[in-house]
Amino acid sequence: MSMPLFLGQTITSSAEALEKGEMTSQELTHAYLGQIRGLNGSLNAYISVFDEQAMEQAKASDTRRASGQTLGPLDGVPIAIKDNILVQGTRTTAGSKILEQYIAVHDATVIRKLKAAGAVILGKTNLDEFAMGSSTERSAYGPTKNPHDVERIPGGTSGGSACAVAADMCVAALGSDTGGSIRQPAAMCGVVGLKPTYGRVSRSGLIAHASSFDQIGPLTKTVEDAGIVLEAMMGSDPRDQTTVDAPPLQRGNAKGLQGVTIGLPKEAWGAGMMDGVRQDVMEGVEVLKSLGAEVKEVSLPYTDEALAVYYVLGPCEISANLSRFDGIRYGTRVEGNNLIETYLHSRGQGLGEEVRRRIMLGTYALSKGYYDAYYRQANKVRTLIRRAYQDAFKEVDVLLTPTAPSTAWKIGEKISDPLMMYLEDVFTVGINVAGVPAISVPCGSHEGLPVGMQLIGNLFEEGTLLDIASAFEKANA
Amino acid sequence: MSHLSTQDIDRLAELARLSLEKEEKEKLRSELGLILGYVDRLQKVDTAGVLEGSMLPRLDLRADESLATNASVRERILVNFPDRMGDALRVPAVFEKPKG
Repeated sequence: MSMPLFLGQTITSSAEALEKGEMTSQELTHAYLGQIRGLNGSLNAYISVFDEQAMEQAKASDTRRASGQTLGPLDGVPIAIKDNILVQGTRTTAGSKILEQYIAVHDATVIRKLKAAGAVILGKTNLDEFAMGSSTERSAYGPTKNPHDVERIPGGTSGGSACAVAADMCVAALGSDTGGSIRQPAAMCGVVGLKPTYGRVSRSGLIAHASSFDQIGPLTKTVEDAGIVLEAMMGSDPRDQTTVDAPPLQRGNAKGLQGVTIGLPKEAWGAGMMDGVRQDVMEGVEVLKSLGAEVKEVSLPYTDEALAVYYVLGPCEISANLSRFDGIRYGTRVEGNNLIETYLHSRGQGLGEEVRRRIMLGTYALSKGYYDAYYRQANKVRTLIRRAYQDAFKEVDVLLTPTAPSTAWKIGEKISDPLMMYLEDVFTVGINVAGVPAISVPCGSHEGLPVGMQLIGNLFEEGTLLDIASAFEKANA
Repeated sequence: MSHLSTQDIDRLAELARLSLEKEEKEKLRSELGLILGYVDRLQKVDTAGVLEGSMLPRLDLRADESLATNASVRERILVNFPDRMGDALRVPAVFEKPKG
């Protein structure tokens, strides 16, 4: 049998083929490891690849299956993990030079759960350093390329995971999303990306970026796969106090959308959006209408303010969270003449430019005399933004926007203008500010580059998002 | 309020424990100025009577029991330490080295 038969798999297709005995997990895993070897040189999606461990996990899965003890749809399925999520005994860099030699002490809760579900871990994917950026150009391990055009960025910060899924270098992947880092690269690489509700998935073992925004979620080839990964890793965890005993995913009828009301926030559909993106997403809206959904314009105030809130509170949390990377507690030490110089050099040389910029911004916003004007005021505006979302969800079931204002840009094009890069997050950050869930689904392409449509749901309404996205995906296929 | 002086940048770099080249400091001064210029729109939002948002969508935090510590992680933690001598962790002296 030739290798390509084992490639091009989704979670559901591999689960079915494994179940029917059409292939083994070892054949499947071997094929994906071969695909990584063939493509990673040009795409740089992975920072680390676990050839031996993955084959061992695959073998264990095949053994379980042979004895009738299969663990479920993920058993034996090879997946990729963003390199800011800990996998015990393996290097976790978070894309940073300062963690070049860090070996994870334990498994993140999501990894523990995925291992318990039988998943095979292929390796760790590239990201912007400490998940700060929008293009995966800010990795100390080089930029990841977009598989649709290798001169372009894959989006970020989960660009390695999005690229690996789009280029079929894994069946599915995990990413993390603080301001759009799952959804925006999913959109730019043409795959599905889901950011769950804040509190739905444990972040224990996720290297913290901004703790009041961070969530872990799946990047997958289909909506159904995203639901499978979410169900495997969600739930309350004593190791992350923000997790709650949320209701299970309420899955309904994914065929028709009669009775579903979709809101288009008029503030989001204004200027600053590429025409091709607007056109593709509007065509997507027409598809949803044809499935029976009612679509209406709604008001969602504070769109620009949400970005401002994010770029105040985010850096404040970053400046606190990243203080541990000082060459004493964590990270490579660069010796100075005294303790303070050791701190200054270890951090100055170990942390990259974007990380340094955000730490400086956060240090400023938290400093004496500015705390009230920035941190406190941003937190109050955050309350208003939460209320604005809650008000919108009184009128509609979900909100719909493009995932990103543009398609993938050329590598290097926006790297020298941080504010311009920040503005790329305008459609995604508000969701993290409000804590609600959102999914990006592919909805066409513009000049050969994928466009994503974002559906935003009320707190813990991931089931509704998956239903609507799934209906759209089937109608749009 | 978003105008930063060279002295402000020096002070922030010291507080943030970041050694920065002079060039980068100058660049940061203008970049942070631009970013602060953007986020200053928050000052115009009327927040009279609004409470600060909690980081949680829900406020009913659980009282989780303390987790038992697994002693076997000790070596795995130690292995990541930048400098050690046996089981002792070596750190720079808090006071400066005597001159000479």
